[in-house]
Amino acid sequence: MALGLLLAAFAGAMVALQTIFNNRTDVHMGSWATTTWVLGMGFLASLVCSLIFEGGRTFNLQHMQPWYWFSGLIGVGVVICLVLGVKILGPTFSVSITLTAQLGFALLFDSMGWLGLEKVPMNWKQLAGVAVIIGGIYVFKFGGKKKQEEVQQPSSALKKSLQQ
Amino acid sequence: MFRGILFAFIGGACITLQGVANSRISHDIGTWQAATVTQFTGFIMALLIYLFVRDGDLGGFRKVKPLYLAGGAFGAVIIYTEVTAIQTIGVTFTISALLIAQLCVTFMIDAFGWFGRTKSKMGAPQLIGLVMMIGGVLIMKL
Repeated sequence: MALGLLLAAFAGAMVALQTIFNNRTDVHMGSWATTTWVLGMGFLASLVCSLIFEGGRTFNLQHMQPWYWFSGLIGVGVVICLVLGVKILGPTFSVSITLTAQLGFALLFDSMGWLGLEKVPMNWKQLAGVAVIIGGIYVFKFGGKKKQEEVQQPSSALKKSLQQ
Repeated sequence: MFRGILFAFIGGACITLQGVANSRISHDIGTWQAATVTQFTGFIMALLIYLFVRDGDLGGFRKVKPLYLAGGAFGAVIIYTEVTAIQTIGVTFTISALLIAQLCVTFMIDAFGWFGRTKSKMGAPQLIGLVMMIGGVLIMKL
Protein backbone atom coordinates (compact mmCIF):
# COMPACT_ATOMS: atom_id res chain seq x y z
CA MET A 1 0.00 0.00 0.00
CA ALA A 2 2.67 2.49 1.08
CA LEU A 3 4.74 1.88 -2.05
CA GLY A 4 1.74 2.41 -4.31
CA LEU A 5 0.85 5.67 -2.57
CA LEU A 6 4.45 6.82 -2.85
CA LEU A 7 4.58 6.07 -6.57
CA ALA A 8 1.31 7.92 -7.14
CA ALA A 9 2.57 10.89 -5.11
CA PHE A 10 5.75 10.94 -7.16
CA ALA A 11 3.69 10.99 -10.34
CA GLY A 12 1.67 13.88 -8.93
CA ALA A 13 4.77 15.91 -8.12
CA MET A 14 6.02 15.37 -11.67
CA VAL A 15 2.64 16.39 -13.09
CA ALA A 16 2.83 19.65 -11.13
CA LEU A 17 6.33 20.40 -12.43
CA GLN A 18 5.40 19.44 -15.96
CA THR A 19 2.32 21.67 -15.92
CA ILE A 20 4.41 24.67 -14.94
CA PHE A 21 7.14 23.90 -17.48
CA ASN A 22 4.50 23.43 -20.17
CA ASN A 23 2.99 26.81 -19.31
CA ARG A 24 6.40 28.38 -19.88
CA THR A 25 6.69 26.64 -23.24
CA ASP A 26 3.13 27.58 -24.11
CA VAL A 27 3.91 31.29 -23.89
CA HIS A 28 6.39 31.03 -26.78
CA MET A 29 4.85 28.27 -28.85
CA GLY A 30 1.07 28.23 -28.44
CA SER A 31 -0.93 25.32 -27.12
CA TRP A 32 -0.82 22.85 -30.03
CA ALA A 33 2.85 23.29 -30.76
CA THR A 34 3.43 22.78 -27.02
CA THR A 35 1.26 19.66 -26.91
CA THR A 36 3.11 18.27 -29.94
CA TRP A 37 6.45 19.03 -28.31
CA VAL A 38 5.50 17.56 -24.94
CA LEU A 39 4.14 14.32 -26.40
CA GLY A 40 7.15 14.04 -28.72
CA MET A 41 9.52 14.36 -25.78
CA GLY A 42 7.48 11.92 -23.74
CA PHE A 43 7.55 9.45 -26.60
CA LEU A 44 11.34 9.71 -27.00
CA ALA A 45 11.95 9.35 -23.27
CA SER A 46 9.64 6.33 -23.06
CA LEU A 47 11.31 4.73 -26.05
CA VAL A 48 14.74 5.19 -24.49
CA CYS A 49 13.55 3.75 -21.14
CA SER A 50 11.91 0.87 -22.95
CA LEU A 51 15.12 0.08 -24.86
CA ILE A 52 17.15 0.24 -21.63
CA PHE A 53 14.82 -1.82 -19.44
CA GLU A 54 13.13 -4.11 -21.95
CA GLY A 55 15.69 -4.27 -24.75
CA GLY A 56 14.42 -6.18 -27.77
CA ARG A 57 11.04 -6.77 -26.14
CA THR A 58 10.30 -3.11 -26.89
CA PHE A 59 9.15 -4.08 -30.36
CA ASN A 60 7.41 -7.25 -29.31
CA LEU A 61 3.88 -5.93 -29.74
CA GLN A 62 1.89 -8.97 -30.78
CA HIS A 63 -0.48 -8.62 -27.84
CA MET A 64 -1.59 -5.22 -29.07
CA GLN A 65 -5.32 -4.92 -29.54
CA PRO A 66 -6.40 -2.53 -32.27
CA TRP A 67 -7.79 0.07 -29.86
CA TYR A 68 -4.45 0.36 -28.08
CA TRP A 69 -3.18 2.28 -31.08
CA PHE A 70 -5.86 4.88 -30.55
CA SER A 71 -5.53 5.30 -26.79
CA GLY A 72 -3.02 8.10 -27.34
CA LEU A 73 -5.89 10.14 -28.72
CA ILE A 74 -7.41 10.33 -25.25
CA GLY A 75 -4.51 12.58 -24.29
CA VAL A 76 -5.26 14.88 -27.20
CA GLY A 77 -8.91 15.02 -26.12
CA VAL A 78 -7.74 15.96 -22.63
CA VAL A 79 -5.78 18.92 -23.99
CA ILE A 80 -8.71 20.19 -26.05
CA CYS A 81 -11.13 19.93 -23.12
CA LEU A 82 -8.79 21.55 -20.59
CA VAL A 83 -7.83 24.45 -22.87
CA LEU A 84 -11.49 25.18 -23.68
CA GLY A 85 -12.54 24.77 -20.05
CA VAL A 86 -9.95 27.26 -18.84
CA LYS A 87 -10.79 29.65 -21.67
CA ILE A 88 -14.47 29.70 -20.74
CA LEU A 89 -14.35 29.45 -16.95
CA GLY A 90 -10.88 30.67 -15.95
CA PRO A 91 -8.31 28.39 -14.32
CA THR A 92 -9.59 28.24 -10.74
CA PHE A 93 -13.11 27.06 -11.45
CA SER A 94 -12.15 24.93 -14.45
CA VAL A 95 -9.34 23.07 -12.70
CA SER A 96 -11.54 22.42 -9.65
CA ILE A 97 -14.15 20.74 -11.84
CA THR A 98 -11.49 18.73 -13.68
CA LEU A 99 -10.00 17.42 -10.42
CA THR A 100 -13.47 16.54 -9.14
CA ALA A 101 -14.23 14.60 -12.32
CA GLN A 102 -10.87 12.80 -12.06
CA LEU A 103 -11.71 11.54 -8.59
CA GLY A 104 -15.34 10.76 -9.35
CA PHE A 105 -14.39 8.64 -12.34
CA ALA A 106 -11.62 6.95 -10.40
CA LEU A 107 -14.23 5.78 -7.91
CA LEU A 108 -16.53 4.71 -10.74
CA PHE A 109 -13.78 2.73 -12.51
CA ASP A 110 -12.79 0.93 -9.33
CA SER A 111 -16.34 0.04 -8.40
CA MET A 112 -17.20 -1.18 -11.89
CA GLY A 113 -13.92 -2.99 -12.46
CA TRP A 114 -13.82 -1.69 -16.04
CA LEU A 115 -10.92 -2.39 -18.42
CA GLY A 116 -9.67 -5.36 -16.44
CA LEU A 117 -9.34 -3.52 -13.13
CA GLU A 118 -9.78 -5.45 -9.95
CA LYS A 119 -13.33 -4.69 -8.87
CA VAL A 120 -13.45 -2.77 -5.59
CA PRO A 121 -17.08 -2.51 -4.44
CA MET A 122 -17.98 1.02 -3.46
CA ASN A 123 -18.50 1.52 0.26
CA TRP A 124 -19.31 4.44 2.53
CA LYS A 125 -15.65 4.94 3.53
CA GLN A 126 -14.62 5.53 -0.05
CA LEU A 127 -17.55 7.81 -0.77
CA ALA A 128 -16.94 9.85 2.38
CA GLY A 129 -13.18 9.97 1.72
CA VAL A 130 -13.62 11.18 -1.84
CA ALA A 131 -16.20 13.77 -0.72
CA VAL A 132 -13.75 15.16 1.85
CA ILE A 133 -10.94 15.25 -0.74
CA ILE A 134 -13.16 17.14 -3.19
CA GLY A 135 -14.09 19.56 -0.40
CA GLY A 136 -10.36 20.05 0.17
CA ILE A 137 -9.83 20.80 -3.52
CA TYR A 138 -12.44 23.58 -3.44
CA VAL A 139 -11.03 25.07 -0.23
CA PHE A 140 -7.55 24.97 -1.81
CA LYS A 141 -8.61 26.47 -5.12
CA PHE A 142 -11.07 29.12 -3.94
CA GLY A 143 -9.80 29.91 -0.43
CA GLY A 144 -8.85 33.57 -0.12
CA LYS A 145 -7.66 33.96 -3.71
CA LYS A 146 -10.62 35.45 -5.55
CA LYS A 147 -10.18 36.95 -9.01
CA GLN A 148 -6.59 38.10 -8.88
CA GLU A 149 -5.25 34.67 -9.88
CA GLU A 150 -7.13 34.47 -13.14
CA VAL A 151 -4.96 37.10 -14.76
CA GLN A 152 -1.74 35.29 -13.95
CA GLN A 153 -2.00 32.10 -15.93
CA PRO A 154 -1.92 32.84 -19.62
CA SER A 155 -4.19 30.70 -21.69
CA SER A 156 -1.66 30.59 -24.52
CA ALA A 157 -2.95 31.28 -27.97
CA LEU A 158 -5.92 33.33 -26.92
CA LYS A 159 -3.88 35.61 -24.71
CA LYS A 160 -1.11 35.87 -27.25
CA SER A 161 -3.45 36.89 -30.00
CA LEU A 162 -4.99 39.49 -27.72
CA GLN A 163 -1.60 40.99 -27.07
CA GLN A 164 -0.61 41.28 -30.68
CA MET B 1 -20.67 28.65 -18.83
CA PHE B 2 -22.35 25.26 -19.01
CA ARG B 3 -20.16 24.34 -21.96
CA GLY B 4 -17.08 25.25 -19.95
CA ILE B 5 -18.18 23.03 -17.08
CA LEU B 6 -18.82 20.21 -19.53
CA PHE B 7 -15.36 20.54 -21.12
CA ALA B 8 -13.59 20.71 -17.77
CA PHE B 9 -15.58 17.68 -16.57
CA ILE B 10 -14.97 15.54 -19.67
CA GLY B 11 -11.29 16.53 -19.53
CA GLY B 12 -11.05 15.21 -15.98
CA ALA B 13 -12.88 12.01 -16.89
CA CYS B 14 -10.45 11.50 -19.77
CA ILE B 15 -7.40 11.98 -17.52
CA THR B 16 -8.59 9.12 -15.33
CA LEU B 17 -9.59 7.04 -18.36
CA GLN B 18 -6.10 7.58 -19.75
CA GLY B 19 -4.49 6.17 -16.60
CA VAL B 20 -6.77 3.15 -16.59
CA ALA B 21 -6.29 2.53 -20.32
CA ASN B 22 -2.52 2.77 -19.92
CA SER B 23 -2.69 0.28 -17.08
CA ARG B 24 -4.74 -2.11 -19.23
CA ILE B 25 -2.35 -1.80 -22.19
CA SER B 26 0.69 -2.23 -19.90
CA HIS B 27 -0.77 -5.52 -18.77
CA ASP B 28 -0.54 -6.84 -22.34
CA ILE B 29 2.62 -5.28 -23.79
CA GLY B 30 4.64 -3.92 -20.85
CA THR B 31 4.55 -0.53 -19.16
CA TRP B 32 7.40 1.26 -20.97
CA GLN B 33 6.05 -0.04 -24.27
CA ALA B 34 2.58 1.25 -23.41
CA ALA B 35 4.02 4.67 -22.56
CA THR B 36 5.91 4.65 -25.87
CA VAL B 37 2.95 3.63 -28.01
CA THR B 38 0.34 5.93 -26.48
CA GLN B 39 2.58 8.98 -26.56
CA PHE B 40 3.63 8.19 -30.10
CA THR B 41 0.06 8.15 -31.40
CA GLY B 42 -0.77 11.20 -29.29
CA PHE B 43 2.24 12.99 -30.74
CA ILE B 44 1.23 12.24 -34.33
CA MET B 45 -2.33 13.42 -33.68
CA ALA B 46 -1.19 16.63 -31.95
CA LEU B 47 1.22 17.31 -34.80
CA LEU B 48 -1.57 16.94 -37.37
CA ILE B 49 -3.81 19.28 -35.39
CA TYR B 50 -0.97 21.79 -35.05
CA LEU B 51 -0.30 21.71 -38.79
CA PHE B 52 -4.01 22.28 -39.32
CA VAL B 53 -4.71 25.08 -36.83
CA ARG B 54 -1.25 26.71 -36.77
CA ASP B 55 -2.10 28.49 -33.53
CA GLY B 56 1.50 29.04 -32.56
CA ASP B 57 5.04 28.38 -33.66
CA LEU B 58 6.81 25.07 -33.10
CA GLY B 59 10.05 26.93 -33.92
CA GLY B 60 9.46 29.04 -30.84
CA PHE B 61 11.25 26.35 -28.82
CA ARG B 62 14.47 28.29 -29.32
CA LYS B 63 13.15 30.94 -26.98
CA VAL B 64 12.29 28.46 -24.23
CA LYS B 65 14.74 27.43 -21.51
CA PRO B 66 16.00 23.87 -22.07
CA LEU B 67 14.82 22.87 -18.60
CA TYR B 68 11.24 23.77 -19.49
CA LEU B 69 11.50 22.02 -22.85
CA ALA B 70 12.59 18.85 -21.08
CA GLY B 71 9.32 18.80 -19.10
CA GLY B 72 7.73 16.64 -21.77
CA ALA B 73 10.14 13.82 -21.00
CA PHE B 74 8.59 13.54 -17.53
CA GLY B 75 5.66 11.92 -19.31
CA ALA B 76 7.57 8.65 -19.43
CA VAL B 77 8.10 8.51 -15.67
CA ILE B 78 4.61 9.83 -14.94
CA ILE B 79 2.95 7.08 -16.97
CA TYR B 80 5.23 4.41 -15.53
CA THR B 81 4.67 5.34 -11.88
CA GLU B 82 0.95 6.00 -12.32
CA VAL B 83 0.36 2.66 -14.03
CA THR B 84 2.36 0.79 -11.39
CA ALA B 85 0.41 2.56 -8.66
CA ILE B 86 -2.95 1.73 -10.27
CA GLN B 87 -1.93 -1.91 -10.52
CA THR B 88 -0.95 -2.01 -6.82
CA ILE B 89 -3.53 0.13 -5.02
CA GLY B 90 -6.36 0.76 -7.51
CA VAL B 91 -7.52 3.89 -9.28
CA THR B 92 -9.15 5.81 -6.42
CA PHE B 93 -6.14 5.71 -4.09
CA THR B 94 -3.78 6.43 -6.98
CA ILE B 95 -5.64 9.50 -8.20
CA SER B 96 -6.12 10.75 -4.63
CA ALA B 97 -2.42 10.52 -3.72
CA LEU B 98 -1.44 11.92 -7.11
CA LEU B 99 -3.65 14.98 -6.72
CA ILE B 100 -2.50 15.67 -3.17
CA ALA B 101 1.16 15.61 -4.22
CA GLN B 102 0.35 17.67 -7.30
CA LEU B 103 -1.35 20.42 -5.30
CA CYS B 104 1.36 20.28 -2.59
CA VAL B 105 4.11 20.88 -5.14
CA THR B 106 2.12 23.60 -6.90
CA PHE B 107 1.54 25.17 -3.49
CA MET B 108 5.27 25.22 -2.75
CA ILE B 109 6.28 26.50 -6.17
CA ASP B 110 3.78 29.34 -6.01
CA ALA B 111 4.54 30.18 -2.39
CA PHE B 112 8.28 30.48 -3.05
CA GLY B 113 7.99 31.86 -6.57
CA TRP B 114 10.17 29.13 -8.09
CA PHE B 115 10.69 28.69 -11.84
CA GLY B 116 9.93 32.34 -12.46
CA ARG B 117 6.37 32.09 -11.11
CA THR B 118 5.00 35.25 -9.60
CA LYS B 119 4.93 34.65 -5.89
CA SER B 120 1.29 34.38 -5.08
CA LYS B 121 -0.36 34.46 -1.74
CA MET B 122 -0.66 30.94 -0.44
CA GLY B 123 -2.11 30.83 2.98
CA ALA B 124 -4.24 29.06 5.52
CA PRO B 125 -7.04 28.07 3.11
CA GLN B 126 -4.60 26.19 0.88
CA LEU B 127 -3.07 24.40 3.85
CA ILE B 128 -6.52 23.52 5.20
CA GLY B 129 -7.48 22.23 1.75
CA LEU B 130 -4.42 19.96 1.62
CA VAL B 131 -5.05 18.68 5.16
CA MET B 132 -8.65 17.91 4.21
CA MET B 133 -7.45 15.96 1.15
CA ILE B 134 -5.03 13.91 3.21
CA GLY B 135 -7.82 13.38 5.75
CA GLY B 136 -9.98 12.04 2.93
CA VAL B 137 -7.38 9.40 2.06
CA LEU B 138 -7.16 8.40 5.73
CA ILE B 139 -10.96 8.01 5.84
CA MET B 140 -10.79 5.70 2.81
CA LYS B 141 -8.15 3.64 4.53
CA LEU B 142 -10.11 3.26 7.80
